[in-house]
Amino acid sequence: MAEVRLEHVWKIYDNGVEAVKDATFTVEDKEFVVLLGPSGCGKTTTLRMIAGLEEITKGTIYIDGKVVNDVEPKDRDIAMVFQNYALYPHMTVYENMAFGLRLRKFPKAEIDKRVKEAARILGIENLLDRKPRQLSGGQRQRVAVGRAIVRNPKVFLFDEPLSNLDAKLRVQMRAELKKLHHRLEATIVYVTHDQVEAMTMANKIVVIKDGVIQQIGDPHTIYNKPANKFVAGFIGSPPMNFINAKIIRGEGGLWVQTSGFKVKVPKEYEDALADYIDKDVTFGIRPENIYDKMFAYAPTPENTITGMVDVVEPLGSETILHVKVGDDLITAKVDPKTKAQEGQNIDLVLDMERMHVFDPETEKAVI
Amino acid sequence: MSKKLVVNIIGWIFGLVWLVPFMGVFMTAIRPMDELLNGWWDFSSFHPSFNNFYQAWNHPTAPLSRGIPNSLIVATSATVLPLVIATMAGYYLARYRFPLKKLVYIVVVITLALPLQMVAIPLYEMLLKMNLLDSYIGLILLHTAWGTPWITFFMRNFFTTLPPQIEEAARIDGASDFKIFFKIAFPLSLPAIGSAAALQFTWVWSSFFLELITIYTPERFLATQRIPLMRGVYHVDWGVLSAAAIMVMMVPILVYLLLQKYYIRGMIGWSMK
Repeated sequence: MAEVRLEHVWKIYDNGVEAVKDATFTVEDKEFVVLLGPSGCGKTTTLRMIAGLEEITKGTIYIDGKVVNDVEPKDRDIAMVFQNYALYPHMTVYENMAFGLRLRKFPKAEIDKRVKEAARILGIENLLDRKPRQLSGGQRQRVAVGRAIVRNPKVFLFDEPLSNLDAKLRVQMRAELKKLHHRLEATIVYVTHDQVEAMTMANKIVVIKDGVIQQIGDPHTIYNKPANKFVAGFIGSPPMNFINAKIIRGEGGLWVQTSGFKVKVPKEYEDALADYIDKDVTFGIRPENIYDKMFAYAPTPENTITGMVDVVEPLGSETILHVKVGDDLITAKVDPKTKAQEGQNIDLVLDMERMHVFDPETEKAVI
Repeated sequence: MSKKLVVNIIGWIFGLVWLVPFMGVFMTAIRPMDELLNGWWDFSSFHPSFNNFYQAWNHPTAPLSRGIPNSLIVATSATVLPLVIATMAGYYLARYRFPLKKLVYIVVVITLALPLQMVAIPLYEMLLKMNLLDSYIGLILLHTAWGTPWITFFMRNFFTTLPPQIEEAARIDGASDFKIFFKIAFPLSLPAIGSAAALQFTWVWSSFFLELITIYTPERFLATQRIPLMRGVYHVDWGVLSAAAIMVMMVPILVYLLLQKYYIRGMIGWSMK
């Protein structure tokens, strides 16, 4: 297994479109790195450049310490699982998995051993004689993974491998891929637009937007300390509330003042906000950090706001409230036992320890 | 309901318009001449026989027993050869980037619109200079040249519908360009190759014009050239002519049936969804 390193990698197409701009990141040995971003952000292009399916315009890609810019895909010792699985439709499952080994002139017995071992790990031993068309989506997915693991490559590349599966199967395959990662001790680069996949599987997430890397970090950091408004809004569901606000000096310290409420900034954030006093900012708070006052842990007048309930969405395990506060619509994820009713007022408590503030111009995180 | 009925009636009318002349040819072929004088639809006396087929097969001046094997040689070669060339060319056009690619593609499309009659004289002179007149090699080369552009166009369009990821997966698996073509793209394109083969074979088989200007030794005459020769100067035996027409027609129909079965299986068998 091995490390993958990208240094100042660019992809500019003939028509001038800059798909990837100055990407620099490292995938450590045995690490599970997720490239996350909305569709068209350049994450798949980045993966395809690592695979060698796409030429790079500028920069350097290293695999296992060696520059691979001009190395053919087959000589990079990588395996890739495609979004549509890309199984060979005219070959059986066995032949699909054996194809790469046969091309590499492995002895027959070794091929047989490896294919059967991979099939056993993935639970597809009874499907080896079938053609891809006779398989369900989940089974095809397994065969695609099997085709990758038989070769025992240095690096696995996954291109949105779960997006064609139904929701239930996706959850199951997510867990299986994670287990497989531990079992194979593999270096994995995984592309997805699904933040849940990224959060649940990654050791490290690379968030990309418009070809530019926005933030690199472990899931915990990405969630709790987003580098900018885009990352903050992209991770988490429902997304973070962004409210136009002003930082003002008031009774006992700094306050966040919006069109509809005023809440106190915790002491530890005051230094960071020193340059923003009396200036416009974007105040951010996640729906899960807003509580129905009836179930709140420590309500005080300084962190409580009042608004009118616009929509109630009960989900069973929690209830989503859309609450009109001043000119803003705030989303809150509250205890399902809430008594909130549409059209009535409600008191909400904000966990100000988990507040975020973004510069409205650069959109960079201040807190 | 009534709409369906109207569509059905129109369908039947077209079908009959299509079938009636063929029925005429068929009846002429299997019945003696004197039974047909009042029209083939008169069944007051009916004595079917295969005599006309026998006559056409063993005709004294233009036997089909020689013509059909000749046609088979030409049509098979002039189907396989352009298919091999054009499948590779189409694949290259669909998948690779090279200088002047657009121009090459445009030239291919333009040649599709070229009428054969326009280039007949230069082609004749070319064959004459190459010493290939009155030979099957010359004729096969002409049909190959004539078939290659449309099959290239057809195959290129087919290849663009195949998801490139399958070939990319093979590339990562370690396949060279040739391996990808022969082990992946070629087997996946068999349905299209089957369709192209059926069409090209039919066209070459029923071609008359090129044969007329390039083949002139009677023993080498192809099946289509022999039918008009069965007409006497003073007497036209319509029965023999019809029987010959039917026999010549049967071959492409058989090829269709054979390949249709094959490419339908291919279509169902290899599509992923």
